Amino acid sequence: MNPAAQTLGQLESARSLALGDGRYYPTIIPGVLPIIGPNSNASLEIRRWGADFLAETFASPAWPSDAKESCALTVLPTLKEYLTTVDDINVIKSAVQTAASVYPLVYRHIVADPHDTQNWQHMLAIKSNVLRRMDAAPPGVRICCVKFVQQVILVQTPGMIADPRRPGQNDISLALVPRDHPLIPYANLEAEASGLLDRLLDIIHGDHSDALLVTATLNGLGMLIQRRPSIANKILSSVLNFNALKLANSPLTPKTKVLIRSIERTTKALLANVMKRNPDGPLNIRIDQYLQRMQRMRLDVFDESSRKRPAPAEPTDGLDAAKRQRLGANVPSPAPSVPPLPSGPVSYRELLLLTPDPGAANLDVQQMFPDSNVLLRLIVPILQSIDEVKLGNAINVVRSRYLDLQSRATAQAAAVSTSMAMSDGIDDEEEYEPDFEPEDAEQMVNRLDSAPPDDTVAERIPDSHLAPYKLPEAPPLTAEEIQKYGDMTVQRLVGMLSAADEATPKSKTTKGGFNRLAASNFDRDSWVTILARLATRASVGLEDPEEGIKSEYNGVTKKGSFALSDRVREALHSYIMYDWRRRIDAAIIWLNEEWLNDRIQSEGVGVNGNAAMNGHGNNVPSKGHYFRSVLKLLDSILPFVEGTDKILVRFMSEIAEVNGDVLRRMKKMAEDPERIDLAVMVLQYLHLLKPPARDICVEVLTDMWHTNDRAKPSARKLLSKWRPEILEQEESNMKTESANGALEVKPA
Amino acid sequence: MTGDPRLKSRAQQQKPVAVPPPPPPPPMEPPASTMGMDGASDAPDRQSVVDDSKFKLKFCTVCASNQNRSMEAHLQLASAHLPTVSFGTGSLVRLPGPTINQPNVYHFNSTTYRAIHNELAQQNTQLYTQNGLLNMLSRNLSIKGYPERFQDWIPGKPRLDHAEDQGAQGTEAGVVDVVITCEERCFDAVLDDLHNKGGKLNRPVHVFNVDIRDNHEEALVGGKAILDLALSLNEAAGKERELHGDGGWQSGGGAAREGFDEKVPEILAAWQERWPNLPALWSLSWF
Repeated sequence: MNPAAQTLGQLESARSLALGDGRYYPTIIPGVLPIIGPNSNASLEIRRWGADFLAETFASPAWPSDAKESCALTVLPTLKEYLTTVDDINVIKSAVQTAASVYPLVYRHIVADPHDTQNWQHMLAIKSNVLRRMDAAPPGVRICCVKFVQQVILVQTPGMIADPRRPGQNDISLALVPRDHPLIPYANLEAEASGLLDRLLDIIHGDHSDALLVTATLNGLGMLIQRRPSIANKILSSVLNFNALKLANSPLTPKTKVLIRSIERTTKALLANVMKRNPDGPLNIRIDQYLQRMQRMRLDVFDESSRKRPAPAEPTDGLDAAKRQRLGANVPSPAPSVPPLPSGPVSYRELLLLTPDPGAANLDVQQMFPDSNVLLRLIVPILQSIDEVKLGNAINVVRSRYLDLQSRATAQAAAVSTSMAMSDGIDDEEEYEPDFEPEDAEQMVNRLDSAPPDDTVAERIPDSHLAPYKLPEAPPLTAEEIQKYGDMTVQRLVGMLSAADEATPKSKTTKGGFNRLAASNFDRDSWVTILARLATRASVGLEDPEEGIKSEYNGVTKKGSFALSDRVREALHSYIMYDWRRRIDAAIIWLNEEWLNDRIQSEGVGVNGNAAMNGHGNNVPSKGHYFRSVLKLLDSILPFVEGTDKILVRFMSEIAEVNGDVLRRMKKMAEDPERIDLAVMVLQYLHLLKPPARDICVEVLTDMWHTNDRAKPSARKLLSKWRPEILEQEESNMKTESANGALEVKPA
Repeated sequence: MTGDPRLKSRAQQQKPVAVPPPPPPPPMEPPASTMGMDGASDAPDRQSVVDDSKFKLKFCTVCASNQNRSMEAHLQLASAHLPTVSFGTGSLVRLPGPTINQPNVYHFNSTTYRAIHNELAQQNTQLYTQNGLLNMLSRNLSIKGYPERFQDWIPGKPRLDHAEDQGAQGTEAGVVDVVITCEERCFDAVLDDLHNKGGKLNRPVHVFNVDIRDNHEEALVGGKAILDLALSLNEAAGKERELHGDGGWQSGGGAAREGFDEKVPEILAAWQERWPNLPALWSLSWF
């Protein structure tokens, strides 16, 4: 047995001991290192064994990482020597694996012992050696480098601190590194990790013919996604942009087939694992879509069986009628089957009708396109697209029918002539057609086709002048009917009024006043105006001041119209009273129309002129409708007026004219102590803004002053301005009264 | 008419010269003699038993229940003196029962093959003899003690307690170089579990899938195919070990320079040619 084999036997027994119990590792390693280490001049066999042993040792779950940490420092020189001096792929592979296992341990040691420069230098030398191999080494080594890089990224990226009180239990990560560490500056580590991650991700987007490296990287990324949430999204986004079937573009050799399927499957396993670990991950929808897309692509690439059979090379159309007709094949179109002509006489329509489809046959183009322009626009392209062959066929069919018809007609004619000849002596009645001779075919056809229209025209009655038609005259309406229909009309109008009321909120538009057009738009004011004018103007001239003196002949209609006006007035009145506060403007429109009408009428009648504006109201004829309507409305409103209803002021000021009767209603209202102020306010307002009504206002106020003690205080203020002499007169009265000791009566 | 996209394919068919590069010729059909399913014709020149003095890869076979396919492969690999362990990825060991709705279900890692054998023999000797279960179980109990679950395996944990198992020699350290699954579901489960285990050992592992239908005949054929694959891999790995000495892989040239790992896709592709009815997958993962 050669010495190398002997040594290997010894080493193997030491390993067995350690495998039996992991606690022996810390004692065995110092014993083994001199044999396999840098200064041992060991054979390749022993170095291979040594590298494998170290890899196995530091990967072993059989002993704790704390113990490994101290041992790790002792093997650094050996590792460094292996990497720098030994030129064997197996040694290098195992050494890089060991470095990957050892790096986190040394890193943690350096975090805890910031001044151990020597060991860190060893580690850095190993690290740079490994990183140098990343790009150039044989793939078997490169995958181990990838794993080393993965470990570097893992520990140099912030992780989560599970329990700050027990640092030993924590994941080894950047989170353990103090910001001011002298040997390993935080920012540098982080930046390095980020750069290395980019290098890893570059691998999967790179050349896929090296599936070994790609799958190794993909399988290494899973753990980073899982344990480093801070970079998980970056990795996942990169993987989701990864084309697992990139190789499918290259020629499909058995090897590429295996590689494509392997890469695809590895990607799928990685993403499925990510989804399974984090079922609510924000990227899960994208992952799902990615997996589905990949599935479809894979089917496209591989699964020949799921595809439809390729199209046959020769056109099947025309060769096999059972197969579907395909576009573009030059099919000798079969002669279309055409229903035979019915026996007997045939019309042009029947002659030219080739389709057996009754729907198409009965299609009325005129009905379908009432606009002939549309039809024209359609016709041109249709004509252009007509299949020449089909058209030719159709023409032939018609031609053959026509010829057939011709021959049929001659045969018929011949038959007729022969039968005639045969029956010549038998049937004498035939003789009434002595000049019968066979017509030529064309004539025959013409006759056949033109027959029906000729017949119908013949049946027509020749044109004649129509007698003028007159509607029968309706029986005259009775008075009751007129009343009834008038009422209905008014109801309809009022109905329109309330409908418009609800429909349109009151908009501030310019008010036309008397000059407005009654119904320029559809709103309440329009309808009120219409109604008011209907009430006031419709019957102008029909009702006379000299009522009832007219002849009896006119009586009925006049009375009817008059009644109609009153009906409208009543309707307006009740319409306003239904919600008088909101409809006061309707009242104002109406009453002003009334006033205008009265005015015009009285002018027409004549003499009074316009001297009788406001105030001396006697000269407006009392039989006019204005004051009657005002008073009626006022009497209806007043019971509902409250002391705060300023709208009354508006009403009183906006109606065209007030007279004593109207203002006396104010005095009446003032008898209610709560409404004294309102009444006084109305008077004051009218006095101020309606000069013609001043005298009446003062008159009424004075009257109030005299009769209504409660109104005195407010009345006094106004009277002191308007007519102080009354106050003086009163005061003198008061003095005498107080002298008499009647002092109880004090104003409230 | 030629503008009709639906006619594109025909247009291409009618004038194939217009298609830019002619597609590569289809891969050569493997000679009929190598397509034999009995495996007799596989690599006739290769020794089916690996010399103990040579380097050996360590193998792991995986199926759903660690009963039929993985055990057949385990036996064949172990018989070839290759270090082998075997696992199942299912949640439970499931064996056919009297009807399809009544499978016999056992726990992994605790129920021995012997116990299962005894129970089934007691239940219905005739039935389970007829469907081959008892035969299978007696084979299994000669290989190892009990079915093991892949997800419960701790890679790197020494397996000295499995020294009696067939193929145990070389697997004492509890790691393998190659995992071969027998079903895509198991392949996915293995990759998924390796992600979960997190690759703490920093040790690369080649994971293969060889799709084998779960019956005795297919398992036998599949076992031969797996052995073929294992021997091919082992040969390549052994060659890599021989490229030692001064200069090592740097002095070599061509194929000889290639290491074992990078040759794996080619080996698998060549193997797939030999076994076209057993679709294969592969991935490099981490323990």
